[in-house]
Amino acid sequence: MTAISVTVNGRPHTAQVEPRRLLVDFLREDLGLVGTHIGCEHGVCGTCTVLLDGRSIRSCITLAVQADGAEISTVEGLADGAELHPLQDEFSEKQGLQCGYCTPGMLMRASEILAGNPDPSPAEVREAIASNLCRCTGYQFIVEAVLGAAERMRAEKETAS
Amino acid sequence: MTTVDSTTGDRIAADRAASAPPVRPHSAERRWVGQSIRRVEDPKFLRGRGGYIADRITPGTLHAAVLRSPHPHARITGFDVAAAQAAPGVHAVITGAQAAQLCDPMPDFGPDPTRHTWRCLAAEKVRYVGEGVAVVVADSRYLAEDALELIEVGYEPLPAVVDPERALDAGVPLVHEALESNCAYERSFDFGDVDRDFAEADLVIRDRLRWHRSGGQPLETVGAIADYDPGTGGFVIETNTLSFTSYLFMVAAALKVPVNRLDIRPAPAGGSFGSKLFANKPAVIAAMCARATGRKVAYIEDRVDNISNCDHHGSDRLYDVELAVMRDGTMRGIKIDTIDDYGAYIQFGVGHHGNALAQVTGPYTIGSVRYRVRAALTNKNQQGAYRGFGSEVNNWMLEQMVDKAARELDLDPAAIRRKNFIRQFPYYIPTGNVYDSGDYDKVLDKALELADYEHWRAEQKRLREQGRYIGIGLISAQERSVFSATEFWFWFDEPAAPVTSTPESVSLKVDTTGGITAILYSCAFWGNSPETMVAQFVAEEFDCDPYDVAVVYHGSGDGLPATGPGGSRTTVMLAGAVEGAAGKIKAKARRAAAHLLEIDEDDLEWADGGFGVRGDPERRKTLGEIAIMLHLFKHSFPADMTSGLDGSQVYDHPWTTMPSADRKDLGVFYPFMGHACHIPVVEVDIETGAVTFLHYAAVHDCGTLVNPRSLAGHIVGGTAQGIGTALYEEFVYDTDGQLLSSSYLDYLIPTAMEVPELAIGHVETPSPYTPHGVKGGGEGGRMMAPAAINAAVNDALAPLGVRLTELPMTPERILTALRASRKKG
Amino acid sequence: MAAGTRGGQHRECALGRSPLKPPPFDYAAPTTLDEAIGLLAEHAGAEARVLAGGQSLIPMMNFRLAKPGYLVDLRRVAGLAGIRREGDTLVIGAMTRMAEVERSPEVAVAAPLVTEAIGLVAHVPVRNSGTVGGSLAHADPAAELPAVVLALDAKLVAAGPGGTRTIPAGEFFTGPYGTALAPEEILTEVRLPVWPGGHAFTEFSRIHANFAVVAVAALVDADGDRIRRASVALAGVGPTPVRAHSAERALLGTSGDAETIRRAAQLAAADLSPAGDLHASAETRLTLAQVYLRRGLELAVSRARNER
Repeated sequence: MTAISVTVNGRPHTAQVEPRRLLVDFLREDLGLVGTHIGCEHGVCGTCTVLLDGRSIRSCITLAVQADGAEISTVEGLADGAELHPLQDEFSEKQGLQCGYCTPGMLMRASEILAGNPDPSPAEVREAIASNLCRCTGYQFIVEAVLGAAERMRAEKETAS
Repeated sequence: MTTVDSTTGDRIAADRAASAPPVRPHSAERRWVGQSIRRVEDPKFLRGRGGYIADRITPGTLHAAVLRSPHPHARITGFDVAAAQAAPGVHAVITGAQAAQLCDPMPDFGPDPTRHTWRCLAAEKVRYVGEGVAVVVADSRYLAEDALELIEVGYEPLPAVVDPERALDAGVPLVHEALESNCAYERSFDFGDVDRDFAEADLVIRDRLRWHRSGGQPLETVGAIADYDPGTGGFVIETNTLSFTSYLFMVAAALKVPVNRLDIRPAPAGGSFGSKLFANKPAVIAAMCARATGRKVAYIEDRVDNISNCDHHGSDRLYDVELAVMRDGTMRGIKIDTIDDYGAYIQFGVGHHGNALAQVTGPYTIGSVRYRVRAALTNKNQQGAYRGFGSEVNNWMLEQMVDKAARELDLDPAAIRRKNFIRQFPYYIPTGNVYDSGDYDKVLDKALELADYEHWRAEQKRLREQGRYIGIGLISAQERSVFSATEFWFWFDEPAAPVTSTPESVSLKVDTTGGITAILYSCAFWGNSPETMVAQFVAEEFDCDPYDVAVVYHGSGDGLPATGPGGSRTTVMLAGAVEGAAGKIKAKARRAAAHLLEIDEDDLEWADGGFGVRGDPERRKTLGEIAIMLHLFKHSFPADMTSGLDGSQVYDHPWTTMPSADRKDLGVFYPFMGHACHIPVVEVDIETGAVTFLHYAAVHDCGTLVNPRSLAGHIVGGTAQGIGTALYEEFVYDTDGQLLSSSYLDYLIPTAMEVPELAIGHVETPSPYTPHGVKGGGEGGRMMAPAAINAAVNDALAPLGVRLTELPMTPERILTALRASRKKG
Repeated sequence: MAAGTRGGQHRECALGRSPLKPPPFDYAAPTTLDEAIGLLAEHAGAEARVLAGGQSLIPMMNFRLAKPGYLVDLRRVAGLAGIRREGDTLVIGAMTRMAEVERSPEVAVAAPLVTEAIGLVAHVPVRNSGTVGGSLAHADPAAELPAVVLALDAKLVAAGPGGTRTIPAGEFFTGPYGTALAPEEILTEVRLPVWPGGHAFTEFSRIHANFAVVAVAALVDADGDRIRRASVALAGVGPTPVRAHSAERALLGTSGDAETIRRAAQLAAADLSPAGDLHASAETRLTLAQVYLRRGLELAVSRARNER
C-alpha cells in the first residue's frame, strides 16, 4: 500500500491505496464521489475526465498514486451550493444532455476549454470536445451550451471588474 | 392495391374501419405540450448524482467478473478452479455447468428455445468469442479479475461458421446440434399480387446489398446488483435494463423463483439505444451469485464484456432485391430476399423483420411485396435491439433501390419519390399495417428548402469541374412508433404464445396540499425523458407547473404492468396512461366539487386548475381545495366516496389487430407512423476514401411534439449513430470467428468532428388517434441517416461509375470500389 | 489466431480473460535519476518498468497485456522535464508533458514539425499527462513522435547503471513496441537538430485524433529554388517508423515541383510493404502512404518557399 495526499474539490484527503488502484475507482469508491463515470477503462471515451491541477486527464488510465500531491476537480465541485455553474445551467437550458452519463466528463473538459479560451468559436468548441464521446446528443446542443456558458462567464467577469 | 373482389375488399375495409380507434379532436391551444421546457431530469445528472447502477453499490457488496471464451466455437472439456477459489478475497467460483444447475435458460422469444437454448453462462460448449464460461465473486472487481486469470479451462476447438450464406449450406458445422440446421427460421410472405405487378412492369431493378452489424454501445454498460433473501426465497435486483414487467416471469423462471418473489428495480441508464432492452443476463448472473454466496453481489459489465457479449448486436443482413417499376417512375412491387446473421442465439426471433414489415414499402404506394427471410445462426454474439430494430435497414435498402431506379429511368430523386407518395390517410400498406397520418410532400418541400438544394446542386457541378466529388443524398422514409407484440409471433401459423399485451401504466396521486406525484412502473430512463414527458402531460391536464410534478419510478414488485421504452413507444403510451389516470382523478374531483359547491356535476367545468360553475366562475374549487377535503374529511362526502384522490391507468396498445389466419394480412401492429427526409451533402476524397459532410438537413414529422427541443436532440443523436453505422462502426469478425473490434480502439464511435451541425426542421401532422396527436420519434435520426449518407456517397461517385452497396462505407471499401471501377473502365 | 487489429495484441488477452483492471504490482516514486535506475536494476526480475505519463502503459495494464511487477514512477525525479535550446539543438526532457511541448513557442520556432505532430497525438487530456519520452519509449509503430525524431535525425539520451549514452533515432526503434533501451535504462532527453526549412506532419486517421493509419513527417530545406536537404519519415507502414530515402534522393537538387513530388512519393511507396488490419488492407495502406507523402511534401515545399 502507498500513502497519498490528494485535495479533491478543495478538500484534503489522505489515504493508503494499492498502487494499481485507478484514480477513477479511488474517487468513486474510496471518496464516494460517484459523479465521475467509467465508460471504457482504456482511455478512449473521456467519460472519466476530471481536472488534475487544472488540466483535464482521463482518470481510468491514471493511477491514484499519480495524483499524490495534486488538486483534483470533479463535477461535484462545479456548483456553488444550490447555484449551478454556468456550464451546468447552460447544459440544461440548451438540452446538452440526454442520458447524462458523459456529462460530468464533458463539463470538466468544457471548464478547461473555457479557462484557456474564454471566447471560442463554434468550430473551436467542437474540435475541443472531440476528446469526449457522447452517444446521445450528437454534440450539437453541447456545443451550443458551451458557447452559451462562455458568453455568460465573460459577461459575469465584466460585471465583476 | 390488394387484389380482392369488391365484396371481400368492402369487408376488409369495414373491418378495418371498425377496429380503428375513434378519431379524436385535438385542442387548438396547449399550454405545456409543445413547449421546449428544460428537462425535469437534469439537475441530478448535472451534479453527478444520477444514481446509475454502479453508483448504487453499497459497502460490503461483492463483485462478480466473468471469464470469457477466446474461441468462437469449442466444446468445454473441463475446469480447474482450485487456484481461483483459493485466491485472496474470492467467495465463489461458478462454472457454466454449475450455473446450468442453479439456473434455467434465459428468457427467449425465439422460434425454438428448447433447441437453441441460451444460458447465462455456456455449459457444454461455447458458441462465440466472448461467451461467458465461468463467474468469480470476490471482495472487489480487481480481486475477481485476478482470480479469473487462475482458472484453467479445457477447450476442444470446433470449426467456426462465420459467413451467414455459408452457414445455410449443407454439411457446415452446426451452432446448435439440436436444431439440425443453422437456419433458425425461414418464411416467405406474399402480400398483394406480386406476379402480376412484376409481369406488368416496364423495368425490374435488381441489386444485392450488405449491411454489417453495429450496435448501440452506450457509454454505460449493463449492470445489476442482486440481493437474495433466504427467508422469502426471493430476489431484489437493481438493474439498468428495462423490464417488460409482464414478461418478468421468464426471468423468474430462469432463477427458479416464483414471479412474486422477484422485484426488479430500475436504475437510470447511461444510454441504451435498445441495448438495455430486457438485457437480463447480468441480472441473472448477479442474482445467481447472490444466492450462492449469501451476500449482495454486483455484476457490472466492463467495456470488453459489453462489446463482445452484450447480446444486442444490430441487424446483419444480406439483401437480394427486385423492384418492379414503370417507365414513368411508378413503383409497382418489390421482392425482398434477406438473410439475417443472428449470431449464436435468437432471443427476439425475427421480430426485427416484423419491424421492417411495418413500413416495408416506405412512404410509397407500392402495391405488392414478397418478403423472404432466413435467419442464419453463426458463431457470433447474438442480435438484440438497436435503434430502429430492423426497420432502419429496410429504409436503407428501399431507398437504395429507389435511387437506382431513378438513375436507370433518368428521373430526379425528388421527382420519383413524389410520383409514388401516399397522400390519403389512414393508409393500409400491403402487409396490413396502417399509416395513421402524414404529409410527405410537406416534409420533402421543407427539407429541400432547408438543404438549400438548388445551391448545392450548382456547387456540385462547379466542384466536379475542379475534380472534386460532392454528393447530395435525398431520402424519404418512415419512422414507425409504438409496436405491438404481434410482430414477434405473426411469423408462425400456430404460434406457441400469440401474446398481445404491451401496456404502460401510470399512477397519479394528488396529495393533501394538491401536489401531484406520478408513478412510473419499470419505465426506464435511458436518455429519453420520461419524467419530462409525464410532467408536461400532467401539467397540461391539471394546469400546474411541470416542475411541481414529482415523478418516481417503482419496481416490478410494486404492481402495474409496464413495457418501457422501445419502438419509440414511450411518449404515446405515457400520454395515454396519464390521460386515463387524470380522467379518473378528475371524475372523482368533479363529484367532490359538485358536492362541496352543492351543484350538479354537469354544471361544472374544469378550468385553470379547478372545477368552476359554468357561467359563475367565481364559484369554484381548486384541485388543492378538493384534495384536502377528500384526504381529511371523509364525512363531508357521500358515504360511498372513499378518502384520497388518485387514479391509475393501465394503458394498452390502442390499435392492434390480429393477423389473418392465412397471413395475407398481418393486421395493424405499428400504426403511428412518422416520416422524415434527410438531405446530406458530402465530399468524398477519392484518394483516401474519406467522407466529410458539407451540409446536413433533416426534417422529421412525428406528429404533435411534446418538447420540440428534446425531439431535436434525439434527431441529432440518432443521426450521429446513423453516421457511425454508415461510415465507421462495425463489429468485425474475421474468417476464423475472432472478434477483431473488441475495444474502442477498433470499434470506432464518431466524435464531434465526425458529426456535422444539422439544420433541423419540424413538421407536425398530428395522429388522429392519440392523445394530443403525438407519435413517437426517438429512433428517427438513425432510421434515416444510413440511407441518406449512402445515397450521398453514391451521388458523389456516380460520375466514376461507382455505387456502394455495403455498409459501413469505410475508406477500405470506397477505395476498393474505386480501384475496381478503374480496372473496368 | 489472426493478428491485425489496432488493439490486436490486446484482443487475445482481453477476450480470454476480459479484464479491465490492472494486475497487482509494487511501486516507487523516487526523487533522483540514480535512485530510479537503481530500482529498475534491483527489480529487473520482477519485470520493472518506467512509469512516465502512463497514457500508453496503463491501458495496456488495464487489458493485462503488460504485467510489470514493479513500476518506477518518474514524476518526482527532478531535471527530466523542460525545453531548452543549445545552439542548433533543441533539447526536450523526456518527462516533458506533450501539452507543454505543444504550447512552447521555442519548439514552434526551432522544430515546428514537432509542434504540428504533437497536435495530432490523441486529444488534449492525453497530452496533458503523456510525455515525450514515454511516447518514444513505447514505440508504437503508428505513433507520431517516433516518425518525427527519425525525420529529424534526433539523438536520444539514455541513462543506465553503466552511465549515459546517446542513441541515434535511426537505431532507437527496433521493432513494434521495441526500442534499443536496456531494461534498466531510462530515456532522459531527446536532442533535436533545429530544422529551419519547410515542414509538414500529415496523417490519415479514421476518426479525428485517433491513432494514425498512415503518417508522414516531411522536412525540406531549400536554397533559392533548389532543395538542398530533404528528410521524410513514415509511421504506420511497418514494425517501426521508416525513412523514405528514395523520396529524399528524388527531391534533392530539384525545385520540388508537383511532378517531382509525385514521382518521389511513388518511389517511396514502392519501398514499403505494410501489413494490413481491419482498418486498412496492405494495398490501401500503400495507397494512403503515397497520397500522404505527396500531400506532405507539397505542404513542406510550399512552406519552405514561403519562409524564404
